[in-house]
Amino acid sequence: MLLTVTEFIGRFHPVLVHLPIGILLIGILLQWLSAYPKYNVSEPVIKIVLLIGTFSAILSCITGFLLSGSGDYDDDLVSWHMWMGIGVAAASLLFMQRILVKKNDMVTKATSISLLMLIILTGHLGGSLTHGSDYLTASLEPISDTLPKRKPIANIQEANVYNDVIQPVLQTKCYSCHSARRQKGGLRMDDPQLLMKGGKDGEIILAGKSDQSEMVKRLLLPREDEHHMPPKAKPQVNERELALIHWWIDQGADFTKKVKDLPQPEKLKPVLLALQSNHLQPKAPATVPAASVEKGDENAIRALREAGVVVVPVAQESNYLQANFVTAPNLTDEQVNLLLPLKKQLVWLKLSDTKISDKALATISGCTNLTLLYLNNTAITDKGLALLNGLHNLQVLSLVGTKVTAAGVSQLDSLKKLQSLYLYGTGIGKEDTALLRKRFSKALIDIGGYSIPFLESDTTRLSKPQVK
Amino acid sequence: MTQKEIHNQRLVKEAEEAMIRMHTRRHFLKECAMGFGGLALGSLLQSCSLGAGKPAAVDFDPAHPLAPKLPMFPGKAKSVIYLHMAGAPSQLEMFDYKPELMKLDGQDCPPSLLEGKRFAFIRGVPKMLGPQAKFAQYGQSGAWVSEHLPHFSKIVDEISFLKACSSDQFNHAPAQLLMQTGGARLGRPSIGSWVTYGLGTENQNLPGFVVLTSGGKFPDAGKSVWGSGFLPSVYQGVQCRSEGDPVLFIKDPAGMDRDLRKASIDAINKVNEEEYKEYNDPEILSRISQYEMAYKMQIAAPEVMNINNEPQYIHDLYGTKPGKAALANNILLARKLVEKGVRFVQIFDWGWDSHGTDASLAIDIGFINKCREVDRAMTALILDLKQRGLLEETLVVWGGEFGRTPMMENREGKQNPFKGRDHHVEAFTMWMAGGGIRKGVTYGETDEIGYSAISGKVTPHDIQATLLNQLGFDHEKFTYQYQGRPFRLTDVSGKVIEEIIT
Repeated sequence: MLLTVTEFIGRFHPVLVHLPIGILLIGILLQWLSAYPKYNVSEPVIKIVLLIGTFSAILSCITGFLLSGSGDYDDDLVSWHMWMGIGVAAASLLFMQRILVKKNDMVTKATSISLLMLIILTGHLGGSLTHGSDYLTASLEPISDTLPKRKPIANIQEANVYNDVIQPVLQTKCYSCHSARRQKGGLRMDDPQLLMKGGKDGEIILAGKSDQSEMVKRLLLPREDEHHMPPKAKPQVNERELALIHWWIDQGADFTKKVKDLPQPEKLKPVLLALQSNHLQPKAPATVPAASVEKGDENAIRALREAGVVVVPVAQESNYLQANFVTAPNLTDEQVNLLLPLKKQLVWLKLSDTKISDKALATISGCTNLTLLYLNNTAITDKGLALLNGLHNLQVLSLVGTKVTAAGVSQLDSLKKLQSLYLYGTGIGKEDTALLRKRFSKALIDIGGYSIPFLESDTTRLSKPQVK
Repeated sequence: MTQKEIHNQRLVKEAEEAMIRMHTRRHFLKECAMGFGGLALGSLLQSCSLGAGKPAAVDFDPAHPLAPKLPMFPGKAKSVIYLHMAGAPSQLEMFDYKPELMKLDGQDCPPSLLEGKRFAFIRGVPKMLGPQAKFAQYGQSGAWVSEHLPHFSKIVDEISFLKACSSDQFNHAPAQLLMQTGGARLGRPSIGSWVTYGLGTENQNLPGFVVLTSGGKFPDAGKSVWGSGFLPSVYQGVQCRSEGDPVLFIKDPAGMDRDLRKASIDAINKVNEEEYKEYNDPEILSRISQYEMAYKMQIAAPEVMNINNEPQYIHDLYGTKPGKAALANNILLARKLVEKGVRFVQIFDWGWDSHGTDASLAIDIGFINKCREVDRAMTALILDLKQRGLLEETLVVWGGEFGRTPMMENREGKQNPFKGRDHHVEAFTMWMAGGGIRKGVTYGETDEIGYSAISGKVTPHDIQATLLNQLGFDHEKFTYQYQGRPFRLTDVSGKVIEEIIT
């Protein structure tokens, strides 16, 4: 109960703090002005103003202290704010004492200045506490950070040339200085009409004439030039964006047409196509899961290392592990069991050229986060392969030089994420690939056995120019 | 006792006294005062520096300098094979097809191409030289390749071409240094050193950074192109051979068996450990680990580095020449090394400096022979890595240190005896494949005569940044503190070439 009452009182702090700020500032101002006969205010007034100000400062301190008990605020910031606030109260007491004893010496002046400083600092810290420490400067940040993400373009030819192609460039590279919020050089670019109207030096876009348009000229100036846009320190318009702007202006700087309505030079086609969401060559899926995992068992890692296996996290600050048996070629199925405690962490595993057999695959089938698995030149067979069907995340599977067959590999039909399947040196030949391609339609299937035709020129050498 | 004997005795005594003086109480106190003072100052200064408190990008454990380490983020590539064609191959007869240049063949070079430019050998007004090869487009990607590379043209869909590479060094040595160490002057670590420093290596029985040179010849910049610069010396490239002993002096000498070798290495290591206790120099720990690695390598290296135990099919594929230190043999060896967990294999070929000063350096004779040497082997490398599933994780980089001019070289203003091209820094072609590089991409474009880049220009630092990115390093944060400031492979520039990575 007591706690809730104190907190209730504490909650008057945000209201009360404004009193000492205002009243003490008035007090300081009046005191300073009293040096000029024209503005001289009678002393009792200053005294009473300072008395009320000091009283309200002390009251603010008390309520602030009660409020800080709620623990809702950043401790560090609260502590600074508190001591500064107490400083304000103390300085105002001292200031009042100097006035009461009617001393207007250097000490009094210094006190009034420090009091002013303290009020500003305490006020700022208080503001940071309630509105967040970036509140004051947020409006100075580039606008692009706060813009909503645009919808992906499904078909670039159907997209609106201004809204979908040009505006996004202006938005990210120009709006921070030339939009509703700021209009440097009297230029606003976030509205088609205002964009065409230009800035205080006139139009920036001459429809059909990109080379004569001030906007393009500015973009093309060397970055060091003071008239270059965007300014040197800001994010620059890149080659592709520049090509798009050129094209748009040359085609009449239209705001309504679709991309397909405008002629597209050969060179621009790839640039336009790159804007299309599905065109972006699909980024290779990550071979490390996004979700984090707890640290792998230290003892298990140590045991593997002592057995000669290279076990390390895939990256700094990641608990996912990679294991490579390259320096442990004599390890057998039993030692593969050492991997079991790490089954959640293991994502990349190379067991090539070891003495493992199907038995080891039973162990490996438990490592369901595996994305890369190399079993080259091991004694595994189709029987063991079936066990791998549970490795749903597997993207790369290399079975080079093993005894697996097409029938064995096609058992793996639940490996939906498989990207690459390497089968060189197995019994699988060209005649089987059709079946496998059907089974793994998304994966690259490589049965290897490449040959390079023998050409006479491979071994002969010229001693004089060839006669053609 | 002769005068000489007395003199010698005095010298020995003097040395002994000097030794004893090293350990006097006064000396101890003096050292301590300096030591403590220095320590205090060091920590004081550190608290002032901006970088204080930041964790180091890479942990360095001097006792296990090559132990596998963690990249900053999961890398697409685990190992790198870098094929450097020293001398700088002509892009205009391999990949950069310029029909317009043919029309200018034999005409005087327009002054606009010469004004304000400097060339290594061209003086006055040279003649233009049209492409000395026929070109065609290949694969689904439609990449242009010349008739000199009949095999490579079949695999262009695996490759990302960088058509607008540029350099700022027109002499071989500085240009090679820039390409391989990120700086045109001596003293910086090579790419392979940075990579093994950052990632260690997976196979502790083999060197992490292997260098193979065709015919054992050194590139113009010498061994510095695989040097460790200011990084600990353990990260320098280990030059190996594809024929004979893979590493020189790897065999036990006659009369010394393996037990005795082990015993002597143990003894040496013990002495080194004592030294380390006294001086705390981490290089001593590195030395100990180097001895141990050398001992293990005696067993592992001859087996891995023997290409003769490869099947005939593989020899046919690569076109290896038994018993030669040829490029094809080195390229096959590179595949074997990467398969066994070697982090970085650097291959240097030579003879690409086609000035036209003699037949072997003529663009229509010797250059074609060079193409024939490399064509089959580099094609085989890509196909062989691919069929073993290794291309997923192996980044292959191919290129020279710069390109060649669209003008015919006129050394000292006179016509050269054969057709040739001078060094050219403004535009040349390199390619990358595997290790998370996109397939079938051509990035960058040169002007109508292949003189300069008009789009997608990349610098050696961009290529290095991309290489590090594929291995899981942010090239701007991957630094080494030296002479009071952090150093990077890419110095103060470099941008990852996003267009060619998946």
